[in-house]
This record gives sequence, structure tokens and C-alpha cells, in this order.
Amino acid sequence: MKRTVVWGLTWVMVLAGAGLGLADSIKIGLMAPVTGSWASEGEDMKHIVNLLAAELNAKGGLLGQQVEVVLEDDGGDPRTASLAAQRLATQGVKAVIGTYGSSVTEASQSIYDESSILQVANGSTAIRLTEKGLKYFFRTCPRDDEQGRVAAQTIQKMGFKKVAILHDNTSYAKGLADEGNALLKKDGVQIVFFDALTPGERDFTAILTKLKAAKPDVVFFTGYFPELGLILRQKKEMNWPVPFIGGDATNNPDLVKIAGKDAAAGYYFLSPPVPQDLPYEKTKAFLKSYTAKHGAAPGSIWAVLAGDGFLTVTEAIKTTKTTDPTKLAAFLHGGKQKISGLTGEIGFNAKGDRVGEVYRVYRVDAGGNFVLQAK
Amino acid sequence: MGFQQPVTNMTDSKYKIAGFGALILLLAVSPLFLNAYWVDVLNSVGLYALLALSLNVILGDAGLYNMGHAAFFAVGAYAAAYLNTQCGLPILWALPVSGILAGLFGLLLARPVIHLRGDYLLIVTVGVGEIVRIALINNLFGITGGPNGIFGIARPELFGFRIRRPLEFFYLIWGFVAVTVFLFARLKNSRFGRALDCLREDPIAAEGSGINTGRYQLLAFMLGAAWAGMAGCLYATKMTIISPESFSFWESVLIFIIVILGGAGNISGVILGTFLIIGLPELFRGFASARMWVFGLAMMIMMVFRTEGILPHRPRLFKGLDRLLP
Repeated sequence: MKRTVVWGLTWVMVLAGAGLGLADSIKIGLMAPVTGSWASEGEDMKHIVNLLAAELNAKGGLLGQQVEVVLEDDGGDPRTASLAAQRLATQGVKAVIGTYGSSVTEASQSIYDESSILQVANGSTAIRLTEKGLKYFFRTCPRDDEQGRVAAQTIQKMGFKKVAILHDNTSYAKGLADEGNALLKKDGVQIVFFDALTPGERDFTAILTKLKAAKPDVVFFTGYFPELGLILRQKKEMNWPVPFIGGDATNNPDLVKIAGKDAAAGYYFLSPPVPQDLPYEKTKAFLKSYTAKHGAAPGSIWAVLAGDGFLTVTEAIKTTKTTDPTKLAAFLHGGKQKISGLTGEIGFNAKGDRVGEVYRVYRVDAGGNFVLQAK
Repeated sequence: MGFQQPVTNMTDSKYKIAGFGALILLLAVSPLFLNAYWVDVLNSVGLYALLALSLNVILGDAGLYNMGHAAFFAVGAYAAAYLNTQCGLPILWALPVSGILAGLFGLLLARPVIHLRGDYLLIVTVGVGEIVRIALINNLFGITGGPNGIFGIARPELFGFRIRRPLEFFYLIWGFVAVTVFLFARLKNSRFGRALDCLREDPIAAEGSGINTGRYQLLAFMLGAAWAGMAGCLYATKMTIISPESFSFWESVLIFIIVILGGAGNISGVILGTFLIIGLPELFRGFASARMWVFGLAMMIMMVFRTEGILPHRPRLFKGLDRLLP
């Protein structure tokens, strides 16, 4: 008897939770790792999307209806994610924002695709996710190969003609080096040096001497910050003024500690910006109200990109005046429509990848601070 | 009094058989009135039921503390994924192969440590679980795909019919659970099962009665590992993607909890435990981020009121119909 009562109460609670949204509203799903090892990302995602939804609803909502965010926990685990996706699919959401991990997103992709639900991932950078030709899948984050593209572009924009590429044979650094190498060569930039250093060594004078002999205009370093710190210092000691540019694995304050402020000054690197560095007025205002409500700014760019996913979906619904996923997908794939997001303008190519750069160029100033460079 | 014992057992058993039959029937037709989400929850329950049943042979029957069961689950899943994506082996053919590989892995692992008692063995298995997970992340032999895992695993095909939707998986998974329950129940009432019962309760007495304890423990370990490997194969084909985070320490703990909470050594208890441990967090989704908190509380309450598990292991009865029941 007692057990029956408990079960009955549980069911009532669950049904009440599900039934609250029966009023006329547009439901948008949010799949986030609220529990598990990425819980802090998930919390930020939840706060950001909820705040954006509240702001939108205060302005009158969407197509005359209120927007309701339906949160489902994916636990940062593919199995839980597939259940979360099934659950969202049966709750009549028009679109889903999320999620963070690539394999977690992948486990949910086909479920949304089969149910014709628009999905906008925010932190899943694995290349293959958009190479499957899924009609309803988009992402606001860059792909793993995007950094190489931005690096090649930046090097050319800065006017360097002879480039040396230095990596460390880890799969990440080698991949970025290969990507940059291929793109620069295609554009007719001369690659005068392409080799790897041995991570963990302390003395890099041998490889620096070889580098210097190749007479590059710039050195593109794709490895990690501990090696780079030593290299920058030893380069300074050799009195060789060549500029260095690196990837996001060198975005670490310890770099300046290892190299020293003098040697680190003038070093460029590419990285997605930290939320506080985003230069847009709209973003600054949003982060201010976010901080006022939750006590601290969101920790990483990936959570902010979930907010961009929400803006993408709501903007698309507003412009096309429909929630038909096929029309929304066609609108977003068009690539012509620029949506103003928290990390700049958002547009998508035919695969559903974001066009326009999330990566930004940073420069280390004389005081050892990382300063965001104007585009 | 002595006469009445079998009689009450008989009527008791009849009710039980009828009850079991009704529950099984209810489960079999449940996809007809549940939506895709709840069917998929049942699929998850089924997969964990397989894992818990396989651990039950090791932990419940042989009394070996194994808290690294996710390692065998992972070996089976990765073996199936590799054989399917790289060698083109149909996934249902990979099912026995992944079972055999996981079983061999279990044998290799258990051979040198099987004499360890209780908590010492537990620590070894925890270590093994972690080693396997970290090896997978580090792209062992270049075949595990690192943190991204292996993707594009084929769906199973049965006589030209491709199993794809949650409803179709429901019958595949629960069919396998039914076969497992049948086999394990038979095993429990065999010479092997009785030997395990005996050596769990008193290893010295068992050895004195001529039971080769080391051999039986190894066999139990291998069987459990092999079954977890087959569950891994089913998991791989259901998800079509596997990655190291699916085989974390928490998964091992979860399977361990299911067996202990449901009732170690009792097959119905283990299945009931799976429904509670895997089903409740889904039921509590309404509480959003507090759901794991509520889940933990529910688990504590259950453990306080039923210290030996919800359906504890009962001593064997050789009267009436009792011995026909698991």
C-alpha cells in the first residue's frame, strides 16, 4: 500500500513536470551535461540559454508565443545522451541546442535526424559530425580543421612569404601542422622548414640553429606551451628576432612564466576568445546581466556558443515565421543570412558548419598579458 | 507441521509462476503502448540487466569482488566495433567473438590474482578497469580511436531485416536477456552452480569436499567476463558509436550496486535491481539537475531497509517446486 502511494506520487510529479508546458509555447530543447565530468560546462550552458530565453520572452517571445526551454541531461555520456535525445524527440521540441562532447553529440545525431528536429551543437568539434550529410545538423563551434585554415589566412594577411612550420609529432600538433602546410602551399607561400621537436627536452638550440639557417619570415609553432616557452627564451638569447605564431595549445599564462616577459613579448597565437574578451556591445551587456544573476561570468567559450545556438534557432524562426524544420534548415543552409550572435556573426555553409571565424589572434604585450588583436 | 511445508510451498510457487508469467507478458507487450523514449529506457535496462547478470555469476555466485566489470564490457564493445568497422564482420557474428575475446581477457587477468581474497581482489579489478579505460583513451595499438572512440558501427541484420528502431532493439536485447536468464538459472542448479554456492559460503569446506576451488572461480570469472563482452557487442551496435567515457569507473560501480542492491546471487533480484538503478534516474528526470541527488537518496533508503538486497539469495530447498525456480 505504502509503496503504491510512493509510486503514485512519483508519477504525479513526473507528469506535472512534463505537463507544465502545455500552454501555447514554442519548445526548444537543450541537451547539456548537467551531471558528469563536464557538469560545469552544462551548468553554464543551462544558465546562458535560460537567460537568453527569459530576455526573448520579456520582449514578447517568438511569433506571438512564449519560448520554453526544455532541459535534458546528457550526463556527458553517449548512452544517457541517446536517452535524452529520445525524450526530447517525444516532447515535441522544434529544435535542440547541444551538446558539448563530440561522441556524445554523435550518439544523438541520428535520433534527431530521424525525427526531423533541428540540432545545433555547441562544443563538438570532431570533423566527421558534419561530413555525414545530415540535413538538420548545425554547429556554432569551429571544426578541428578550422584552426589550420585560420592560421594560414592570418599568416598570409600579415604578409609573410617564407614560413617555417615546427610541430612536436603529437596527433594534435602534427594534424594542425599538416593542415597549415597544405593550405599555405596551395596559396603559393614558400614553406622553408617543416620538422618536429622532441617534447620534454630542455635545450632547443640545435633545432633553432637549423630553423635560423632556413631564413623564414615567420615560424608557425603548432605544439604546446612548455616547449614554446623555452624556445622563445633561447631564441631571445640567440638574438634572433623572427616572429612566432602558434596554435591554441599555447594559450596558457604559464607560457610567460617559462619564457620571461621579454622573450614572450610579441608572440602571436590563435585561440577562441575567452567570453570576457568578446568585443561586441551586445555580448558585453549580456555577460553583465549574466554575472549579475549568477555571480560569475561563464567559464568558457563553448557555453557561450550554446547561447549562439539558441539565437540561431530563434532568429531563424523569427525570420521565416515558421517552425517547420525543413524550412528552417533550408534558411540556415542558405548561408546568406547573417545572424548576430554572442561571438559575432553566425552563418552556416551547406554542411552545417559555421562560416566566419571563432578563432581570434592574440598577441603577448610587453607586460606579459594576452591581448586580443583587432581583426 | 512437517507435512504442511511442501503444501504451502506449492501454492506459493503457483502464485509465483503466475506472477512471473504476468510480468514477462507485460514486459513483452509494453512497447505497444510506450513511446520511443520509454522503449529506449527499457533497452538500457535490458543491457544493464545483461551486465548485472554476468557480474552476478562472479560476485553473487562465486563471491569474487569485481569492481572493474566495465573493462570486460569495453573489451567486448571495442572488439565488436573493430571487427565490424575494419574487417567487415557482420555484428551478429561478432557477438560470440567479442564474448570469447572478453572471456580470454578475463582469464588472463584473473589467473594470477584469483587467489586474492575479498577486498584485495576488488582493488586489483578497480585498477584493471582504469587501465583499460586509459589505454582506450591513449589509442592503444592505434585501433581504439582515442578519446573520439570508434564510430560507424553497423546495425545488426537478421535474415535480411535490419534492426534499427528502439522497438526492434527491444526484442533483440530482451530476447538475449531471456536466453541469459534461462541459461544462468539452469547453471545455478547444476553441479557447477552448487559448487560455487559451496565455495562462496566456505572455501575451506569446499576444498575439503573435493571441489577444485581455483578452477571453479576462474571458470566463473571467465563466464561473467564473456557475457559482459557480448553485452558490449550489443551496446556497440545499438549506439553505433563507442567512446571511452561509456566505460568509466562509475559504470563498474553501477553494475556492482545493481547486484548488491538487487540481491547478490538471486537472478530476479538482479533484474529488479536493474529496473530500479537504471530506471529511477530516468523517472526522476523531472527534477532536472537534482535528479542524481534524489536517486542517491532513494538508493540509501533502499539499502538501509533491505541490507541483504531487495530479494536476497535464499538457501536451496529440495522440496516441492522450489528447485525449479531461480
